[in-house]
Amino acid sequence: MSDDDPGDEGWPRARFGHTDLPDAQARALRRATRLEWVTLAFMASAVLVVYLTMGSSQAMRTAWVEDLLALVPPIAFLVAVRLGRRRPSPDHPYGFHRSTAIGHLTAAVALLAVGTALAFDAAMGLVRAEHPPIGTTVVLGQTVWSGWLMIAAMLYTGIGPVILGRLKMPLAEQLHDKVLHADADMQKADWMTAAGTIAGVLGIGIGLWWADAGAALLISVSIVRDGWRNLRGASDALMDQRARSFDDARPHELTVEVDRVLGQLSWVRGSRSRVRDQGHVFHVEAFVQPDHEAEVTIDRLEEAVEALRDLDWKINDVVVMPVRELPETIPDPSGDGEARRVDLG
Amino acid sequence: MCWRRGRWLVVIAALVLVTGCGATIPRDPDGTLDDVRRSGVLRAGASPAVGWVELGDGRPAGLEPDLVESYADDLGVRVEWVVAGEEHLVTMLEDGSIDVAVGGFTKDNAWVKKVALLRPYVETKAGERTEAHVMMVPMGENAWQSALERWLDRQEVVAP
Repeated sequence: MSDDDPGDEGWPRARFGHTDLPDAQARALRRATRLEWVTLAFMASAVLVVYLTMGSSQAMRTAWVEDLLALVPPIAFLVAVRLGRRRPSPDHPYGFHRSTAIGHLTAAVALLAVGTALAFDAAMGLVRAEHPPIGTTVVLGQTVWSGWLMIAAMLYTGIGPVILGRLKMPLAEQLHDKVLHADADMQKADWMTAAGTIAGVLGIGIGLWWADAGAALLISVSIVRDGWRNLRGASDALMDQRARSFDDARPHELTVEVDRVLGQLSWVRGSRSRVRDQGHVFHVEAFVQPDHEAEVTIDRLEEAVEALRDLDWKINDVVVMPVRELPETIPDPSGDGEARRVDLG
Repeated sequence: MCWRRGRWLVVIAALVLVTGCGATIPRDPDGTLDDVRRSGVLRAGASPAVGWVELGDGRPAGLEPDLVESYADDLGVRVEWVVAGEEHLVTMLEDGSIDVAVGGFTKDNAWVKKVALLRPYVETKAGERTEAHVMMVPMGENAWQSALERWLDRQEVVAP
């Protein structure tokens, strides 16, 4: 199959680097790309609506900044997918998959920094007992309390992300895309920001001056938490942590599967492998120890590589190295990481 | 799933609040509007500004004091005037010893972090610039602020 084989619907065949995507993944990628464009358009409208209504409410300002930050993951995803398509070049022999991790890290740092600043603002508002003034606005000749407009804006911005987040989550799993997962995860939780802001504004409405800054504080703490979680995930991935599931919940089953499949080959006595997540696709280095009598041939090694590639579309870049003794420097991937935790004290 | 139930609870709570307390939102954290009505006194501060606030021998006069007097009439209360410089008026608004301050202020004035500015009620041309005129009220007394803004919306104001 040539490089520029068109896929179904006449699209260029979807790929990550030199990994051609199976049809299901190719469809998921197109759908995810479309959804991220929709997200960008929706969040841009939300940013505008909230900006026009935010007045002097700290909670609204915090929600506005969060909406603004919500533009980062979709952009990171779209950039990473575009860069990740590129084939490896002499300068980038591993391809450009890491662009995903860079996008992930960037989004995490932005969340962490801005969330901290907003939390500080909100806390200072509480300490100084600032009473947010919310007056009236003239809408179509009617004078209405601006708080109602803020609440309407929050209902608008709260509903879209929840739907988009739920649509994107299964695609993140199919594509094994951490940025898409982080994006979907944050959007799914976005209704809490909207609800919190509405509670804050209604609180001001019934004369509780602290409700606004209180809501702002809760929202900014949730931004900081998102930032921290993503920062850990992204930096672990950049440090070549063993591949984990798309939501970082557990080690990826392929990290163990690789050794199991190699062990099934007739000439293999044992194997030890490293599987790292390049972003979308995995890079596998497997050390195999042949049986005493067995002869290691090119055919057998290629058979091993093919067996690994057949495991999953994510496995394409595979190195199989015959060794006399399994390297002791590589910990057993079926272990639960206990050793590492002890090392860290 | 619990998040889904949570979302509906929020929507229901919002609806209850909207329908139930619509008439009493917003309220003042420090009860300015209620206090003015109860005591029968609107405490107003004035700082001289040509055309807007004139200080004769007696009470402040000019467009803005007239507006304040007229609003007090509508509420059925009388006005107690304090005449002072801008900075003192701001301090008095902050500690709640006056309810409103006038003095030819515009929406671009420097006190915006300490007091609440009403929505502009009239605009004037000062050369190239448009000046949007405002009154100042205490921070976050939203019922009071909204009531005064609503009242000003109904007035036909001509700039001096």
